[in-house]
Parts: sequence; C-alpha cells; structure tokens
Amino acid sequence: MKRRWKYCCSALVWAGVLSLCTLSFAEKGTSVISKVSQAANAAIKAVTQETHPEVSEQEKLMPCFECHKEATPDIEKEWYNSRHGIANVKCYQCHGTFENMEKEPSDDRCYVCHAGAKNHTKPGKACWECHPAHNFPVKKK
Amino acid sequence: MGLSRREFIKRTAALTAASYVGLELPFSMQKEAKAADVDKWVRGSCRLCGVGCRLDLGVKNGKAVALRGVPESRTNLGYLCMKGMLFYKLMGHPDRLTKPLYREKKTDSFKEISWDEALDIAAKKFAGAVTAYGNDSVAYYGSGQALTEETYLFQKVMRGGLQTNNVEGNPRLCMASAVGGYLTSFGADEPIGSYSDIEKSHCFFIVGSNMAEAHPVIFRRLMRRKLDNPDKVKVINVDPRVSPTSRIADMHMQFKPGTDLAILNAMAYVIVNEKLYDEKFINDYAVFRVGKEKKQVDLAAYKKFLEDYTPEKAAAICGGNITPEKIRTAAHWFAKSPATMSLWTMGVNQRKRGVWANNLIHNLHILTGQLLKPGADSFSLTGQPNACGGVREGGGLCHILPGHRLVKIEKLRNQVEQAWGIPKGRIPPKPGYHTVAMFEAINAGKIKAIWINCTSPAQSMPNADKYRKGMSREDCFIVVTDIFPTKTTELANLVLPTAFHFEKTGVYGCTERRSQLTPKAIDPPKGAKPEVWIVREWALRLAKELNDPVIKQCVAPFIGKEEGYELPKAIWDEYTQKLTKNRDNDLRGATYDVLKTMPDGVQWPAPTEDFAKKGGTVKKFVRGIDPIADKEAKDDKPYQFYGPAHKDRKLWIWLRPYKGPAEAPDAEYPFYLSTGRIIDHWHTTSMTGRIPELMRANPYAYVEVNPVDAKKLGIKPGDMVEVESRRGKNILPAKVYEGPIEGMVFVYWHDMHEDRMINRVTKDAYDPGSKEPEFKICACRIKRVSGPKPLKPYIVR
Repeated sequence: MKRRWKYCCSALVWAGVLSLCTLSFAEKGTSVISKVSQAANAAIKAVTQETHPEVSEQEKLMPCFECHKEATPDIEKEWYNSRHGIANVKCYQCHGTFENMEKEPSDDRCYVCHAGAKNHTKPGKACWECHPAHNFPVKKK
Repeated sequence: MGLSRREFIKRTAALTAASYVGLELPFSMQKEAKAADVDKWVRGSCRLCGVGCRLDLGVKNGKAVALRGVPESRTNLGYLCMKGMLFYKLMGHPDRLTKPLYREKKTDSFKEISWDEALDIAAKKFAGAVTAYGNDSVAYYGSGQALTEETYLFQKVMRGGLQTNNVEGNPRLCMASAVGGYLTSFGADEPIGSYSDIEKSHCFFIVGSNMAEAHPVIFRRLMRRKLDNPDKVKVINVDPRVSPTSRIADMHMQFKPGTDLAILNAMAYVIVNEKLYDEKFINDYAVFRVGKEKKQVDLAAYKKFLEDYTPEKAAAICGGNITPEKIRTAAHWFAKSPATMSLWTMGVNQRKRGVWANNLIHNLHILTGQLLKPGADSFSLTGQPNACGGVREGGGLCHILPGHRLVKIEKLRNQVEQAWGIPKGRIPPKPGYHTVAMFEAINAGKIKAIWINCTSPAQSMPNADKYRKGMSREDCFIVVTDIFPTKTTELANLVLPTAFHFEKTGVYGCTERRSQLTPKAIDPPKGAKPEVWIVREWALRLAKELNDPVIKQCVAPFIGKEEGYELPKAIWDEYTQKLTKNRDNDLRGATYDVLKTMPDGVQWPAPTEDFAKKGGTVKKFVRGIDPIADKEAKDDKPYQFYGPAHKDRKLWIWLRPYKGPAEAPDAEYPFYLSTGRIIDHWHTTSMTGRIPELMRANPYAYVEVNPVDAKKLGIKPGDMVEVESRRGKNILPAKVYEGPIEGMVFVYWHDMHEDRMINRVTKDAYDPGSKEPEFKICACRIKRVSGPKPLKPYIVR
C-alpha cells in the first residue's frame, strides 16, 4: 500500500486535472493558452516535488473533492464511502492545504485525532501501512 | 448528487475567469509548525460548537502552534473536526484587535485610544444613560462563547450594579426553545443523560439536526455505533432536507417545513393506539397537561386529542415522502428499541412553535419510558460551547439569575442579593428585554447604551437589516468586545480588544452538563485584555460616575486579583460555592483544583469535590447515580424528579396541536427558505474565515435548490440566483441537488458578504414562549439572474 498514493497521484492523473483546466482555459480564448503551458510546466515540476500542481488562487477556492472526483475518482470514491468520508473528515485535514501540502501525510497529522493510536504504532511504519488510505480499515490487513 | 462533468467544467471556467481579475484572499499564509514540535501542551476545550471536545494546545516560544485531541476525554474520545484542529491559527493572527478604538459618531473613523480613556468613556456613557433615561436604558448582549466567569460578572454588574435585567445573549437565538421544552416537560433545564448513552443506544431519532456538520464529533460517535452494529441499531432522520447526517439513516422522513409537529403527534397516536407505551412508567412518573393553565387531563383525553393526528391525516399535512406506513414504522422502532435516543438542534428550536416541538419529542420518550435507562434519552444538542454553562446556568438571559433561578420570584432574587452582599430589593423584579425585544427597543430609541460581547448580532439577528438600522442610530452608544473586526464592530462607537480562550482562564459548560476548564496557556496579543478584567475596571469607574457604592460592591471581592488566573478563579468560586449551592446545577465540587485534574471536566450535579473527582452525574434524577435524587427522594421509586419547575415532581406529557410556521409560502413568495451551518465554518466566519483551509473549503454561501425546482426555473449549478423575501434579498451561486425538499431552498448562514448574508432575508417571528426566532422557516421567491460569476470570499477587516 505504500506506493498506492504515488501511483494514484502519478503524472498521468495530474494530466487529467490539467486537461480539465485546459478545457476551462480554452473557453476563455487563446490569450490564456500560454498560461496553461505555464501551469502545465509548474504542474510537472510540482509532481516531481510531490506537491500539488499549480492552480490559480480562485481555483484554490474549490473544495478538493470537486476536482478529485474527476482527477482521482477511485480515491475520491474510496474516501467518500469510508468512515472519514461519512464523518466529513476532509482532504485538507490530513493533507493540508496548498502551501503546506503533504501527499503522504506524516503520522503527526494522524495523531491530531488518533493520539491514542500512538501506543500501537510499529517503529518505522507509517499509520497507513496497516490502515490503507483512503478507507482506513481498522483491522490489520 | 454531485456535479456532472459538463457542469464541473462550466463552473471551473467561471472560476478560472476570476483568477485573472486579481484576487486578494482575506488571510495571509503562515508556515505551520509540525504538531509534535512544541515546548508544552496545555489542556483545554474547543469553542467552535457545543460538543465540548477536549484538546491540547501546543505552545512553542510562547505562541500557539498546534492542537491535538485528548483520547481519554469522554466528550470527543480524542477526535477533532477541522475547526478544532486549526483554531490555534487565530491566536497570532495579524487581524487581531489590539487597541481600543473609539469614535463619537458612527459615521466617523475609529481612533486608537488608551485603555484608561476607553474605560472612562464606557463608564460615562452607561452612567449618563442611566441618569438621563433610567436603568432600563442600558443593556448587555452576550454570547454562548463567553466563559462562564465572564457572563456571570457582566450580569452581576448589570443586575446588582446598574439595576436592570436587560441581560441577554445569542443563546436566545439557538437554545431558548430547548430550555422551555425541558422546563415544561421535565421540570428542569438541560438533558437528563449524556453522550455516553450513544454507545448504549439502539435507535437514534435525529430530528431537525444536521449534526454531521454542526456537531461533527458527536455525529462520529453515532456513526461508529451505527456502522459497528448495522442491524442492531436503527437511525431515523427527520428533516425537510437530506443532509450529510442522512447518510447513516435507515429511514429519512422528508416533509414540508414546519409540519414535523404533526409527525410527532402521529407517532404518539401510533404508540398510544397500538399500546406501545410503558403503562407503569406513565403511572409512576407522568401526568398529562393541556393549555396555558396547565390543566391536568387523563390518558383518554390525550387519546381523543391525538385523533386529529392519525398517520393518514399527518401524512396528508406533511407531504414529502411521509406515508402512514413510515410514521408507523418510526413509532415502532422508537418504542420497541431496547434504548432510544433523540437528538435535535435548531431545526426544532428555531421555530415559531419551538417549545411545543420540544415537548412533543419529550412526549414520545415519556410515553415509552425511553428515558433514564442506559442508552435512552431526549437529548438536545447545544449550539455553542458555553450556552449551557455560561448563559443558561450562569444567568445570561433576561428572565433568569445564576443557578437556574427565575428573576420574577422574589425569594430567588433575595438569595442572589444575599450572596452578593447587596441590599435586598436591589435586583429589579421585572425581567428585561428578550433578544428581539432588545433590538426592537434599540430601533425605538429606548436603549441608549448597549454592551455587545463576543457575538455579532448585526449578522446573526434574523431580518438583520431592520436591526442594523437601529444599531446605526447615533443615540445608541454601542460597545463591542471581540477579538476580530465583525459586521457588528462596524456599527460600534467603542471597540475593545479581548483575549481569546487559552489566552485567559475560564470554564465552558457543554451540552451534557459538563463543565471544563481551559487555563491560560499563552499571553494575549499586547493590548488585548480578558473580559473579566474589563468588566471589573469598568464597574469601578461606573461606581464613581454614579456615586453608587453597591456597584463597587459587585466587584469588590475581585479587586486586585491577577487577571489571567486568580481573577476568574475568584469569580468561579463565588458563582459555584454561593450561587449553585443546593440548586439542580450544584457545581460546588467542580473547583478549579478538581477541574485541573480531570481530562474532561465534571458533570453537574456535583455537590462535593469527592463526587466531582469521579466525574459527576452521568444521569440526572436516577437514585444511586445522581446525589440530589438520593437526597431529595420522597419515595422508594428509582427516579426522582426534583426539578425546580414541577412542584408535583412529575414528567408532563403535553397536548400540543400542530401549528405551522409564521410565514408559509404563497403565490407571491412560493418557496420555503431555511438556513443552517456548514462544517468548515463557525457562526459568522469572523474566526473560521481567517483560517485558510477552512475559508477555502467553503468560501461562499450557496443556495441549495432541488433539481425539480431548478429545472422549472432554468437554474443550473453555479448560476447566480436571487433569493428574495418580504424583508430583503441575496444573490448567491446555486447548488442544485436533491437536498432540500421540492419547494424549499436552503442557504448557509455564515457568509459576511452583503449579497450573501442570508439573515437579511430571514424572518424575525419568534416563539411566544421561548422568544426564540424562527430562523428555519420563511417564505421566499427565487429567480436566476445570471450564469456563474467569479466571487470573492469576504470578511470584515
């Protein structure tokens, strides 16, 4: 499961986001095409740095799931049907927002709510290695 | 129902367009500290709903840098919602108010002044009003977010010092109907049971509450109970709107807004006619009553009354998906479950007949004996962190004194006067203005000086424009104490910067009668002061201005006390030891010393420290659990209803007819409008709007439109829609989904922007008993005004 996030958030997936953005930008005419290219370059750079692709300030005002329903549908669905999804534990609570985003959240973010779980964490293992994101089964698999 | 791909692209296009017009976010980003990278953790409570989650604040170099849940807390079991995880970002926020601001006229600009000048002005203005226009020309309007020590001291100075009962607060807008319901049904305010009933319950009856968003951590406990026991536990959700709460429901009852009283009576009809009631419980503990005279009647009369509410008749009244079969099934689940727990909030309370709706829920529990046993309770969820502890218990409303005492009863007034060491007869016998009446009085020029603490009525009052007009009057001097600028500071003469909790010490009392201490962990920003210091210093100046030693006497026990801990401790000691002694909310055992040792505070009644150290009373009225039930027992029965409001010591089953809302849709205004909370924001966004994650998650209010209505009116997702009532209008982006019932629209109420501030549209009709306004229902019309438009999030700065 360790690689799950990386696979799901591969450049291919981000390309999906970009294609959406491109469609959107394209509706505003050719003057924005260069900006799309800039965004694409930034996004590629972002992928390599494991941060979020660059989006505009206005786009940052969209709930994460609205893009990710399209960009990472399996993850979105998995989250939505999980206990986190039902209880409205949202993307940014684990992953942060654009300026402090972690694709693979550190355990510290888990401990904000699951401080009690610290006692049974195995050294060197991240929480999600036993409780795979994004459905977080409580039984060890 | 989410957006289709095509709709998504369209919205993205609209949003993208805005990215080129230059956008300034109302917050600045700051680097976040790693959660574990702290010098110390200080234990306290969250203040962003009524659940009372316990958490540790991480402090590094004297600054707040992180928050984490407390696993051993019986409120939240360690969980936090996004607001509870992130509010530490408010403490060092650059928008914090740090200087007293003053202007003679509301049309002038504010000027920074010193604290001495500010307190002198506040004292002169209030004293001047009292001298020229009488004691009732001044008022205090407080908050369910103020600490108990603060509310207690404010009301003490107002009642004992300035001799007026014009003491109100925003809990009138959210909990007053629940208070009325508990007093008239059970004889005592506040729930009998506790959150711990959740894990023992087999049927949840969630009515008028989107607790998944408004009380997310308690919802999480319900969710776990349901998901861990999918067949054993039933969940009934009663709401005109399908909400995130509905996701755990076995049955969702959707009806025309305001008709739920008919559903509740129809469930009682089924319970009575199919003999699902607990005859012994009723015979032992209950009576039937009707009308203003509280006339006692019998079961036969009740049965006859219920004939107007057969499931068939109720289904015809309610519309939506309500069928006779559904009502029968709900009644059977409710009555036959080993333990049933009802939970409700504003959908029931913020109603023209909110008290009656509360009574009708309680009726079901009394009839079926679904009370007092583990897992069974009629449990009102409180909206704010200290509406119960500070305002309902601490004397923060116009008709009540500390310790659940009624103003109108002389003996109780005298008890308070004696405790305060002030002359007998000092507290006036007449209750003050309730909230709507208070702001009406401002409109009418009757109130010349008002102190508004820790709340923003300019945004949170229904029909807000009407009351903002009054607040703009130059003949009403307005003091506002707060941590950030708000829509209300915009109308103030004097703005005083206050400390956030964790920058001062005090107690919050949450939904389940639980009092929890939050000690000072860091200093407030330089220039901001704790309210208790402000009130004390103001009162001393008032005493000089009015040459009245009794005003000084009100704060005399607190003179010279250090403001961060010793001062609030002295106030808490006075309140608990003198004012809750032998009252149903006896808190004498919940001293600061005891509260400091508890991971999650103490539930009252807790008359002794030894008892408080065990956590207090989990279930009121049960002998062997509640020490007052043992002490006050009049017979051998296991339950003893010693509440102050029922001299007969009985539970009252009320004959309450169905009454609709104050304003139903008509040809001119054909839609119902309802409003509510969204999970990422708290109240008016003066706090949560300044936290980037939260603001981004929900930057604007939307209007939710049912797809059937949207199709008829040509409204597509993201279109700008005008929502207009007889009082005002908003223009908001549309969210089209099968949430609200057909014929109803729903708007989140947190947005400060003038175009999207829905309380400009809501109605200020109120319950004749509780005086709580009917935020939840009014008539409106809607129309599409344009396609999607780029919008900017907005907060007052």
